[in-house]
Amino acid sequence: MTRPYVPWFLLAIALTLAAVYLFPLYWMYVTSLKSGSEIFANPPTFWPVEPDLSIYPSVWFRRTMQTFMWNSVLIASGVTAITVLLGTGCAYVLARYRSGWIDFGLFMILMLQVLPASVMITPLFVGFNQLGLLNYPRTAVVLAAAAKAMPFFVVLVRATFMSVPRELEEAALVDGNSRIGAFFNIVLPLARNGILVCAILTFMSSFGEYIYSKSIIQNGAMQPASVGLSGFLGPNSSDWNSIMAYSAIYVTPILAVFVLLQRRIVSGLTSGALK
Amino acid sequence: MARFFNSMRDGIGFDLILVGAAMVFLLALAGLPLVYNILMSFQQVDMFTLGDLFRPLAGLTNYVAVVNAPEFWLVTKNTLIFVFTSMAGQFVLGFSLALFFAQNFPGAATIRGLFLVSWVMPGLVVGAIWSWILAGDFGVLNTILKAMGIIEAPIFWKSDPNFSIWAVVIANIWLGLAFNMLLLSVGLAAIPRDLYEAAELDGANAFQRFWTITLPMMRSTIGAVLSLGLIGTLQQFDLFPALTEGGPANTSNVAGYWAWQMSFKLYDFAKGATISVMMFVLVLIASVVYVRSTRHEVRG
Amino acid sequence: MSAQIELSNIDKHYGAFHALKDVSLSIEKGSFVALVGPSGCGKSTLLRSIAGLETITSGTLKIAGQTMNGVPPRKRDVAMVFQSYALYPHMTVEENLTYSLRLHGVGKAEAKVKAAEVAATTGLSALLKRYPRELSGGQRQRVAMGRAIIRNPKAFLFDEPLSNLDAALRVHMRKEIRALHDRLGATSVYVTHDQIEAMTMADHVVVMRDGVIEQQGSPLELYDRPVSKFVAGFIGSPAMNFVPGTIGPDGMTVALEIAQSLSLPLARHQEPGRKVLVGLRPEHLVIGEPEQATLRLPVAVVESTGSMTFVTTSTEPEMTVVETRRTTVRPGDTIGVSIAPNQVHLFDPATEKAI
Repeated sequence: MTRPYVPWFLLAIALTLAAVYLFPLYWMYVTSLKSGSEIFANPPTFWPVEPDLSIYPSVWFRRTMQTFMWNSVLIASGVTAITVLLGTGCAYVLARYRSGWIDFGLFMILMLQVLPASVMITPLFVGFNQLGLLNYPRTAVVLAAAAKAMPFFVVLVRATFMSVPRELEEAALVDGNSRIGAFFNIVLPLARNGILVCAILTFMSSFGEYIYSKSIIQNGAMQPASVGLSGFLGPNSSDWNSIMAYSAIYVTPILAVFVLLQRRIVSGLTSGALK
Repeated sequence: MARFFNSMRDGIGFDLILVGAAMVFLLALAGLPLVYNILMSFQQVDMFTLGDLFRPLAGLTNYVAVVNAPEFWLVTKNTLIFVFTSMAGQFVLGFSLALFFAQNFPGAATIRGLFLVSWVMPGLVVGAIWSWILAGDFGVLNTILKAMGIIEAPIFWKSDPNFSIWAVVIANIWLGLAFNMLLLSVGLAAIPRDLYEAAELDGANAFQRFWTITLPMMRSTIGAVLSLGLIGTLQQFDLFPALTEGGPANTSNVAGYWAWQMSFKLYDFAKGATISVMMFVLVLIASVVYVRSTRHEVRG
Repeated sequence: MSAQIELSNIDKHYGAFHALKDVSLSIEKGSFVALVGPSGCGKSTLLRSIAGLETITSGTLKIAGQTMNGVPPRKRDVAMVFQSYALYPHMTVEENLTYSLRLHGVGKAEAKVKAAEVAATTGLSALLKRYPRELSGGQRQRVAMGRAIIRNPKAFLFDEPLSNLDAALRVHMRKEIRALHDRLGATSVYVTHDQIEAMTMADHVVVMRDGVIEQQGSPLELYDRPVSKFVAGFIGSPAMNFVPGTIGPDGMTVALEIAQSLSLPLARHQEPGRKVLVGLRPEHLVIGEPEQATLRLPVAVVESTGSMTFVTTSTEPEMTVVETRRTTVRPGDTIGVSIAPNQVHLFDPATEKAI
C-alpha cells in the first residue's frame, strides 16, 4: 500500500515470464508465416519479412487435413461421450458414500490413472486383435483412450459432486423424488459446470491422442491429426513452415477454447481433487 | 424383479449400476489388459501366435533377454535421467513461478492461467515445435544461446548423443511446468494469511517464513505434485517420436518408448510386454507414494 | 389421540458403531416432540430414520399406522426442515416451494395458488421470484418452513433448523414455529442440542444419550423429576450443581462434603449413611443471612447480567447460585444459602440414577 509501484513492477516481470514461456507458441505461428527460404535464414528473423498465409490452405489440402481433423473430432467425441456417460455416475457414487469399499474403489481408480499408455498399448493391441476389434480401429482407439481418460475425469468430477451439499439431495428425496429423480433434477444440475469443464478437458486431451491411434489405426483415412503430423515429422525433418502451419491449424481450436474458458477451467481444476 | 427395480429407483441398486458400469468398463479395458500383459511377458509371442490366448510358455526367457539386451542399461540410465531431471526442472521452476504469482499484483491469476496452454496442447505438437526450436543448424535456441555468449558452436540437440536426452527433457519440462505451478499455487493459496502475519510479528524474515511456514504447510501438496510429476513423466510418450525417436543409437530412449518400439517396430510383443511389466512395477511404487500423499483427500 | 409416529425397538448400526439402541417412542398426532441431547447422541439419526434417509437395522417404524421400514422417503409423506435449509440453489423461492407439489403431480396453476398462500403465511410474498442466494438467513429459514408446510404432510421433521440464526432471530423463530405448528394442527418432531429450545417449544421432550432414550416427558417433568444426573445436568440453565454428600443418621438430612458442619433437610427418608450425589439447581438456592441459612459458602466470583446475578463459590467442586434480586455480595464474602427440601435431588454416585 505504501509503495504502489511494486505491483506494476511485478506485472511487468509476469508479462516477461509469460512471453518467455509462450515463446514456443509464438515461434510456431511465426514460422508458419515464413517462406521456405526465410526459415533457414541465419540469424533467424523474429518477425516474417513477408507474412504469407497461403501455406495454410496448401498444407490443409496437401496433407488431407480435413480427413485427419475429422477423425480427431470423431475420436475425441467418442472418448468424451463414453467418459462422461460412465464416469459421471461413478464419480457421483464415489462422492456420496464413505466406506472401506469406496476407498478401495478410489484406490483402484487412482492406480488406473497412473498406468502409462505405453504399458497398456501392447496388451490392448493383442487383445483387440483377438477380438477382431482391429477391423474397427477408430472404435478400438475410442475404447482404449476412454479407459485412459476416465480415471482423471472421475477424480475431478467426484470433487465437484462433493461440493454439492448432501442435504440438498436428501431434501429432494423427502420432497418426493426417487433416487433417479433426485440425481437428475437436483444433483446433476448443480454439478453441471464442473462436469462440463472436465468434459472439455477430456475432449482436449483426447483430441491430441497419439500413441493408441498410431499403434492401432493403419488405414490413413481413419487416422487422427496427431498421426498425420507424425507422418512428416522426424529427427531429420526440414519442411518446418509446413509442419508449423499444420501444428497451428491443429492446436488453434484447442487454444481458442482454452483461452475463452480459461477462468472456468482453472477454477474447475483447482477446486478439484488436485488440491 | 420388482424388488430389483425398486432398489434401482430408491435404493442402493441405483448406486451399484452407476458405479458398476464404469468399473466393468475400466476392468475390461485396463484391468484385464494389465493381467494379460503379465501373462504375455511369460509367453512366446510372435506374428503366428498373435491370435492365440494360450501360447508356449517362455518362463523367464523374455526377462533374461530384455536385461541382456545391449541397450538395456542405457535405456535404464536414460529413463532415470529423464524422470528425475524432468521432475526436478518442472518442480523447481513450477514452485518458483507459483511463489511469484502468489504475490498480489493486477492480472496475476489471468497471466498464470495463460501458462496452462502448454498443458492442453497435444504432446506431439509440443514435440514438433521444440523439434524446430532445438534444430541444430537453424534452430532458434542455438541462435539465442550464441547471442547471449553461452555457446560458441551450435549444439545438435537431437542428433548429438550427448544432448539427445536433454532435448526431450527440455521439452518435457516446458510441457509439465505449468501443471506443477497450478497445483502448487493451489497449495500456497490454502495457507492462511494470518500465519504469515503472525510469523512476521514474531520477527521472521521472508526467507525464514518460507522455510518455517510455506514448506511445512505445503508438505502434502509437494508430495502429491512430486508423485504426479513422476507418474506424468513415466507416461510421457509423444515427445519421443516427435523429437528423437529414441536415437541416435538409443541415447535418448526410455523404457516407455522402448517397449513400444519392441511391439510396434520390431513386432516382438513378448519383449514389449516384458518391458511394460517392469515399468509398471516402477509406476506402482510411484502411485503408492502418490496415494499415500493424497490419502487425507481421499478420506477428506 | 392416536400415535402418528410409532417407533418400536429401533436399532441402528453403522458398521461396528451402534447408533440407536432399542429405541421405542410414540408420538401423538398433533404433538410437538423435541429430541434433545449432546452431539452424537443419535437424535439426528433417529429423525433421519423417520424420514427414511437412514435405514434402520431392526425394529418397526410406523407412520399413521403404516409400517414404513424400507419405504423410500418419497412414499412416507413427511416434510423435513434441514439445518442448512437445503434450498435448491438453482430454483427461485416459488420453485422451491412448489417443487414437492410438482413431483406429486399437482397442476401448475394450483401449485402457484398454494405457493402464494404459503408465502403469505410465512411472509415471503415479496420474495417469490428471488433465488436463495439473494435471501437473508431468516428469509431462507422461512422458505425452508414454507416448503414443508405447503405439502400438508403427515409429520414435520426439524433438524436443528435454528442453529444457523443469530440469537435474537432464534428466539423469534422459536415462537413462530410453535405458532405455526398450533395453527396447522401438525405433528412435529424437532431435533436440537439446545435444551432451551426443547423446553420452550415442545409438549414432549425426549432426552437422548449414546443412542438410548434417557428420559421422556413434559418439559416440567424433566425439570422437576430428572431420572438421572445426565438429564438433571442437561436440562436447566445454568446447569445444576452436583456435590457429593452423605445421608445423615436420621435419614432425613444430607451432609454435603463441602460444608460438613451443616446439612440439608430432605423431603423423603433415605438410608442413613449412604453416599449420594446431591443436585441443587442454582435458581433454587436462596441467599439469606448466614446465621439463618442451611449452608454457608465462600464466594469466588460474582457476575451480574443486570436482571440476574450469578454467584460462583470457591468450594470444591464449585457451585453456582442465581440471585434475581439486587445483591451486595462480593468475592471473598461468605453467603448463607437455603433450599426447600423438595428441591434437593439425590443421585446414586455409581449409577448416576435418581434416588
